[in-house]
Order: sequence, then structure tokens, then C-alpha cells
Amino acid sequence: MAEAVAAGDAPADAARPLMPAIAWRNLWRNRRRTWLSAGAVAFAVGLTGFTMAIQAGMYRTQIDSATAFFAGHVQLKRQDYIDRSRFEHTIDGVTPLVRDLESRPGVVAVAPRVEAFALASADDRSFGAQVLGVDLERERRTVRFFNRVAEGRMAERPGEAVIGSALARNLSVGVGGEVVVLGAGKEGGVAAMAATVTGIFNTGMADFDRSLMVAPIAAVQEAFGLGDEAHTLVVRIADVDDSREVAAALDADLPPGVVARSWQAALPEISQAIEVDALGGVLVYAIIMLVVAFSVVNTFIMTIFERTQEFGMLRAIGMRPGTIMGMLQIEAFFMWLLGIGLALAVAGPVIFWLSEFGLHLGDAMTELAGQALFLPDRLHAKVTAAVLLTSPLIMLAGVQLAALIPSLRIRRLRAVLALRAE
Amino acid sequence: MPIKLLFQMSVRNILRHRRRNGMMLAAVVVAVAAVVMMNSLIRGMQQDMADAAVENLVGHVKVLAPGYRDDPGIQKNFELASDWRPPDGVPEVAGWAMRVRVPAVIMSERGTRGIQFVGVNPQQEGISFLSSAHMTGESLKDASDGRIIIGQALAEQLETGLGRRLVIITQGADGLNREAGFRIAGLYDADGEGMEKFFVFTGVGALQKMVGADVFTELSIRLHQEPALFVLKETLVELFTGLEVLDWRELEPQAAAMFIFADAAVLIWFFVMMGALVFGLVNTLVTSVMERIRELGMLRAVGMRPRSVVAQVVIESSVLMLIGVAAGIAGGLAGILAMGDGLDLSAWSEGVQSFGMRTLLRPVPLADDVLLIAFLSLGLGVVASLYPAWRAIKIKPLEALRR
Repeated sequence: MAEAVAAGDAPADAARPLMPAIAWRNLWRNRRRTWLSAGAVAFAVGLTGFTMAIQAGMYRTQIDSATAFFAGHVQLKRQDYIDRSRFEHTIDGVTPLVRDLESRPGVVAVAPRVEAFALASADDRSFGAQVLGVDLERERRTVRFFNRVAEGRMAERPGEAVIGSALARNLSVGVGGEVVVLGAGKEGGVAAMAATVTGIFNTGMADFDRSLMVAPIAAVQEAFGLGDEAHTLVVRIADVDDSREVAAALDADLPPGVVARSWQAALPEISQAIEVDALGGVLVYAIIMLVVAFSVVNTFIMTIFERTQEFGMLRAIGMRPGTIMGMLQIEAFFMWLLGIGLALAVAGPVIFWLSEFGLHLGDAMTELAGQALFLPDRLHAKVTAAVLLTSPLIMLAGVQLAALIPSLRIRRLRAVLALRAE
Repeated sequence: MPIKLLFQMSVRNILRHRRRNGMMLAAVVVAVAAVVMMNSLIRGMQQDMADAAVENLVGHVKVLAPGYRDDPGIQKNFELASDWRPPDGVPEVAGWAMRVRVPAVIMSERGTRGIQFVGVNPQQEGISFLSSAHMTGESLKDASDGRIIIGQALAEQLETGLGRRLVIITQGADGLNREAGFRIAGLYDADGEGMEKFFVFTGVGALQKMVGADVFTELSIRLHQEPALFVLKETLVELFTGLEVLDWRELEPQAAAMFIFADAAVLIWFFVMMGALVFGLVNTLVTSVMERIRELGMLRAVGMRPRSVVAQVVIESSVLMLIGVAAGIAGGLAGILAMGDGLDLSAWSEGVQSFGMRTLLRPVPLADDVLLIAFLSLGLGVVASLYPAWRAIKIKPLEALRR
């Protein structure tokens, strides 16, 4: 400062380049207060960052298990099949369409499915079953469901079928048993198909285990009077995050009546559950940050009150109110920086550990895991730019504003009165 | 030192710094109000999930034949007099229903679907969603009514409607398939499409005749209040030896897990909010002590005991918290009133229903929760004042006076 005064004209304002250093020193005039305020910032940022990373990880797994397990990233169906799910609303010319789709950009694999409802019987027991005709080789490249059965093997040839564990129990058949399927064909005639059970799957999801029966697509098409037709084409794409874009691109060039839907549109219950959860999270983060912002305002009220004399002196030697406020803004910035450092030191390793190794959720959650929501049984955090930057940046805005509000008083400060203040 | 004087001094100390303490109060009010509101929404969600689970033909307690849960079918049945009633000793019974519930296939000219075929006595179904669901056409008249009621969504899938006939196939008690035609008496509109597609109802007598056995597959009992559950369960276990007596938590583990999770969430939110608050509180109190070093030193010099100094700081913190908590609870309750009937979540209806909730989220403020929040917050106020109080008694009278 001595040099600046010697330099002449506007002595105190010439101290501007020194401001960061002065602000940094000011911060340490009251260590306890600085650490407590930085602690509050660290608490808010660390906690929200941590929760956001967990949410992001959870959504990611939830989306992955809902799509890559069975439903696919993008689904193609006829619009009238979506609206009324009638058996005869099939997509025609499936073989060339699948080849065409497989050559489109972003598409990794495509699998056609025939979906029929029928009565499955073994001996004198009968139960309703969802009969799914699949192209096994394509399905394996598209979703995970067809890679593994609990018992036996997948149905590979016509005349073979795999069924859910609960359905098998209800029909009291095992691997090697015979199941007869009776339903209504496309033209309204009786559709019949006999198959040997080659495998039994057990997904833990009641809908699948209780009513699903999977057989080769050719056999199902033949039994139900279909030609080269299917109800659904399931698509795997390179990155599930691009589902909407790829669906829109595919949708632009499809046979009339057929639509491509992103997983968000095809599985609204999953995407909406995520939206509701995310919205609730945002609300909580906003309140935490608001409460912390109040503490920071308080810190600056106390700082400014205690330093009234000092500010009076600075005014008296010619420093403009704006410069003093600028100094306080730099102090606020350093305080934020300390808070972020603390948050990184405490929450950082935890987030890193969770994203690398995950956390087992325990039995209560595993109970939920297999159910409709596709919650994972291991919780993995996911670190993205959004997770890392959102809460610190919002907190930065909050801290700067919190420092500004009480410092507005400085503009009204009378140097003489301030110097006389206690 | 008389407590009244200490109290007076603490209050005056608070009033010396109105802006600072006002800001602190604002933080307490926002945090407490947010916790109270959040709490009531979580409780609303919890109650919703439990109600939905209980109403979906589960009831608080169900009696089933062993093995029915793994292999639901008419073979897993039990006999019960049709005028059976719960023993008089059980309190709070809201109602009971004896049903036959079997998997079946339903066919119209236009389609075939797998369903749960449920034989009910309509007079007993006040305890399930069936009595409150919106109905087009007629409800079932009595237990021997041989018509059926199906869900709106199922009717659309089967392209059928009121007065039409449907064929239903199910297994008889002898293991052989039975097939019979039923006329549609009414269409019900339930809270979720899943239910509408899943349950088809008829008179229990008619279904018993179809399967050829005068038996039931389930007895469901609903209570006015859940705490009576334990007594009921014990009584039933004694009464029905050889049968399974299960409560809704065992029958709907998913809903039960969510229920427990909500209990924990209530506390988690509280501690998160208070964590955000405590830094500011300690900061304010320490400053208020450090500013008064000379004053406290002087008081000590003229003979004030250390414990009175501690009391002063603790009272200061408690008074701040008391005002903040009272205003926060009032603010939270006002916020709950402002929500009116509840939050409309219908924009996310499918997502919300997959949690087992309704689309209208009603806040349910519980007196117990509000009291708990109040006590924990006040407790936190005392804990937060311990460090500042310790700083205050460390002040050496002589050094303080010399400053």
C-alpha cells in the first residue's frame, strides 16, 4: 500500500492489483468464522454433489436394465398396435426392413418379435401365456435376456420353447416336458403349436416368470398364420443417451404406419419415475443451498459490522465504495474456493469409491431391485460434468450474491461517522 | 444467578444485533418449514402406498392355503362357513371378505387375455377398491350373481362392452379345464390400468359352481387402524391351524420396503437440513460471544459463575431456535394448507403409479413428526451452543478487561 500511496493520483484505488492478496489475508483475520462459512459451503456442495452422483448412477443402471435387458433402446411398432394391441396389426416385410435398419447410422442390432397371447397347456393344466417369437441370434446381439436361462438351454429350433419359472411350476412341467399352445391366428382361425421345453428362465420379475414363453420366430409365425411379419422390432443403439435422436432419425424413413419410439416413449413409467425423483432432488438441493446462503449472508453482515472502522479509514484515504465491495466479493470467492476444496477432500473420495466399486444396497432394496422399477441391487455413483459443476457453480452465484447484499451498506458509509464507530 | 435475569440478558443480547439474528432466524425458519412440508409429503406418499397395497384385494391380513402363493389355483383352497365372522375379541375390524381367486383366460370374439378371476361377495367388498372404483353399468348384486365385472382397459383390449358375453377358461377343483360364458354387468375404472387389465370379478357362488367346489382360496381382513394388526394376526393363527396367515407387509414386500424407506427418509431430510443450518448457528453464537469478551470478563470479575455464562449462551441459542422453530412450523403448516388437496402429479402418472402411488399427492402432517422436529431442532440448538459456551468460559476475566 505504501508504494501505491507514493505513486500518487488515486492512491487507494491503485491498490487494485493487490486486492486478491489483501482479500486472502482478510479471510484469515477470523479463522474460525472463515472455516465455519467454508464448512457450510462444503456441506452444501459436497452433499448435493454426492447425491447427484448417486442419482445419476442409479438412473443410468435403471435405464440400462430397463432397456438393455429386454425392451431395447428403441422400439418399432405399428401405431395402431401401440394404441389397441391387436394381433393382426403387424409390421410386414420384416426381413428386408431389419437389414435396412441394421445399416442405418447409430444402430448396433435389430431383433424382430412376434407377440401372441395364447393358452398354454401341459397334460390337463392350462394357463394363459404370452408367446414371444424371437430370432435368437439377433436377440442375443440386442438385449441380455436371451443369453442365459436358469435351467436347460435356450430354444434354438422350431418345436422348442423356453418358459418362465412360475409358468413351469403352474403347468408342472420341467425341462424336456411337452407344452401345447392354443390361440387365435391372424385370420381368426385356431392357432396351435406344440413345443418341447428346453429351458426355464427365472428373472425375479413376476410378469416374465409367470406368463412368458419364448420360441423361435419362424415356428410362431407359422403357427399363428403370419408371413414375414412381426409386432415389434427391438433396436440396440451405440449409446442409450441418444435414444431420442436415433428414434427420430429412424422414424423419418419407415414403412407407413410404423413408428420408432425412444425408450422414454416406450417405457413412460421408467422415464417419469426418474423425472419425478430428479425433480424432488432439485427441490431439496435448492433448499439446502438457500439455508447455506443465509449463513453466508450472516457471515458478511458480521464481517462488515466489525470492520466498519476499517472501511471508514479506507474511504477516508480515497478508496471508492465499489472497490471495497470488490474486495469483499474476492473474499467471498476465496471462501467459496475453500469450501469447494473441503468438499472435494471429503466427498470426493467417497464419490470416487462409489463410482468405482458401488455400494450393496442390502436385502430390502434387493427385494425391490428385480421389481417393476428396475432398481439395481448395487448402487454405483456416476461422475459427469453436470454432477461436478452444477452445485459448485450455483453455490458460487449464491455466495457472491450473499456477500453483495450486506455490502451494499458500504455505499452509504460516511467516512467520519464510520471512523468514530465503536 | 436467577434464571429470569439470565433469560432477560440473553434476549437483550439477541436484540442487540437484529440484522444478524434476523438473518439467522430466516435460515432456521426456511429449514424447519421445508422439513415440515417435506415430511408431510413423504408421509402422504407412505400412506398412499400402504393404502393402495391394502386396497388391492390384499387387506391388512390374509389367510391362504399353504402353497397358494407359489402356485395360485383352486387346488390350494380351504373350507369356511359362508357366514363366518371374525371372533369378537379382535378390535378395530373394518370388514372382511372371503373370495375365490384363480388364474384364468378370458376370450372375446376379438381377443384373448390372461387374467385373475375373482369370485366375491359384493356385500363384503367395502374393504377393497371395488367399492370405491367408478363403475359404468351395474355392480354385482350378490354372491350368487353369475355376471362379471371387468376393467375399462381390458374391455378396450378385448373390444367388448356392457351386456356382451365373454368366455372364461379356468381349472376346476378336479384339475380339469372348465369353460363358461359370462355376461358383462359393469366396467370398473381403477386407479391404474394394470389392475383394470388384471382382475375380473363375479359372484363367489357362481365361481364356486364353475370350479365345482364349495371352498375359498382367500380370506382378507381390513382394520380401521394398523396397530390392531398384531392381535388380529395372533388370533387368526390360532383359529386357522394349517393355513398361512400373512399381513400386507409379507404379501406386498415391495410396498413394505418403500414404507420402511419413507420412515428413514423423514429423519434423513431433517439431519440434512439441520446440517446446513448448524454452521451458521455456531458462527453467529461464537461471534456473539467473542464480541462480548470485555463484557463477559467484567461479569466474571464481579463474580458471575462460569455456569451462569454457559447458561446465558445456551439460553441465547435456545431462544433463537425456539422462535425460529415456532415460525418455521407455522410456515410449514401454512405451506401445507396452500397445497390444498395435494400436489397434482398427473403429468407423471405412469411413473408415479409404478411406485404404487396415486397421482394426487396429499400432504399428511403428523403431530408426532412435527413434535419430533421441534424437539430435535431445539436439542440441536443446545448442542450447537456448547462450543461457543465453552469459548465463553475460557475467557480470563483479567485478560479480557485489559483488551
